[in-house]
Amino acid sequence: MPAIAAHGLRKRYGDTLAVDEVTLDIEEQEIYGILGRNGAGKTTSVEIIAGLRRPDEGTVNVLGLDPWRDRARLRTVLGVQLQNAALHSSLTVREMVRLYRSFHRDGADPDGLIEQVGLTAKRDVRFENLSGGQAQRLSIALALVGRPRAVILDELTTGLDPEARRQMWAMLEGLRESGVTIILVSHQMEEVERLCDRVAVIDRGRVLAVDTPDDLVKRADLDQVVRFRTAGAFDPAVLESLDEVDAVTVGEDEVVVTGRGELLQTVATALVRADVVALDTRFQRAGLEDAFLALTGSPIDTDQEQ
Amino acid sequence: MTAQTAQTAANPRPPLRAWTALIGAETRSVVRDTAGLLIPLGMPLLILVMNGVTNRGGGEINGHSVFEVYVVPLVLTIVVATIGVINMPSFLATYRRYKILRRLAVTPAHPAMILVAQVAVSIMQTLLGVAIGLSVAMIAFDVGLPERPWTALGVFALAAFAMYAVGMLVAAIAPTANAAVAIGLTLFFALGATGGMFGPTDAMPEPLAAVGEALPFGAAVQAIGAAWVGFDQEPAHLIALGAAIVVSGAVAVKWFRWD
Repeated sequence: MPAIAAHGLRKRYGDTLAVDEVTLDIEEQEIYGILGRNGAGKTTSVEIIAGLRRPDEGTVNVLGLDPWRDRARLRTVLGVQLQNAALHSSLTVREMVRLYRSFHRDGADPDGLIEQVGLTAKRDVRFENLSGGQAQRLSIALALVGRPRAVILDELTTGLDPEARRQMWAMLEGLRESGVTIILVSHQMEEVERLCDRVAVIDRGRVLAVDTPDDLVKRADLDQVVRFRTAGAFDPAVLESLDEVDAVTVGEDEVVVTGRGELLQTVATALVRADVVALDTRFQRAGLEDAFLALTGSPIDTDQEQ
Repeated sequence: MTAQTAQTAANPRPPLRAWTALIGAETRSVVRDTAGLLIPLGMPLLILVMNGVTNRGGGEINGHSVFEVYVVPLVLTIVVATIGVINMPSFLATYRRYKILRRLAVTPAHPAMILVAQVAVSIMQTLLGVAIGLSVAMIAFDVGLPERPWTALGVFALAAFAMYAVGMLVAAIAPTANAAVAIGLTLFFALGATGGMFGPTDAMPEPLAAVGEALPFGAAVQAIGAAWVGFDQEPAHLIALGAAIVVSGAVAVKWFRWD
């Protein structure tokens, strides 16, 4: 039984079908990415899972609870970080973490948590004086202060510098180790590729695909490129007959092979068989970004028109 | 751990210390909002002192000075009106604007808890404002205790409720935090002007004075004044305060939005 199961969710706002037949099954101790453009229905979907909105149709089960009927119990086991939620502007980091800690019967040590998100030096600074990245870290701390068994993070590392981003990633991996189930709403490819066990690609309110980041890329079956140099002359016929190869271009100082499937392995085997010594072999594969583009027809950073 | 444990294990209610922590947080917010702290404490005091030093003497009503009949009730009404009509909606609208209520909705603390905490802090601030105003009035301007203390207390509580209700109405209808402050201030001065804040209502044109007395500010000044000098309460004033609570409260409940 999955830790979080949402089946057949539908939510309409006026004429817009924001969420259309969304089904997500999230296993315990999984980092599950929800990837999509702005306006694709990601936030509405997780708001339904968090019990903030009621779906027009569909059922949700979070750790054995119905988020709408058992809202009170849900709050004790599900931590939520909302996008752009600000807080009491005149309270300090420490006051805020302690305040949110007080809402839970059981939870994390405030100072330890502040240390974990890297805000110890800023703990006496008021919320209104924090930078965007610092405010973001605080909001992550507040989502985790009740030691939730599952957590929803919306645009986790928006506004963080690369260093802080890596820190946050390491922290999430630690959380997963300790048994927490994580839903990560994102449109950051690098983050999703690096962290997520599985990803649901959402576009125009629908789930287009659910898979591991690797398999999403493989499934898109996009061109791969192998480049290498050879010591002597090279006969492209060695590779051209292979099923996986689409084209071979012999240039002045390198050979470029494009194709699909297990391209690198096939090319390497063929070269060995033909006694060709390849130097400086480089392999380029399409990434999640390309796979997303292929799946949805437009890049991630364009807004979804409503 | 299986999914079933969530059903039984967790006590879903926030612990008691969530309340004290929230009241503490609201107190800090109010204290750190300098203007919001000073106006309800400083403005009534200023009006009290200015009336006191410029307007000694005058006639007596039922053995009480004009100061007791009019200035002290006015000052007490200003305290509750500034807190209820100006400060409270501004805090609530800010919470909504910054999605604080929504943020709280995903913790075990119900967003209503912050409203209760805000009211608790407002009551403390009111008591502080009343204590300062009355102390200065008693020490510097020879004001005594009300002839009918329990009536005075009851009428004052009713006036405070009425002002909070009007404040909730402002918070409910204001589209933005900025609008909440603007509407709150406008309403405060409109109620105050017709209710005697800039001079006794006897000097006003009759219809204007009548309107002012039917509104919560004017009604509160009159009702508190009556209790102070020992007159019977005029039902019209109490009805005016009650109506303000019922009407504003109903509209506020109908229009209030969590986000």
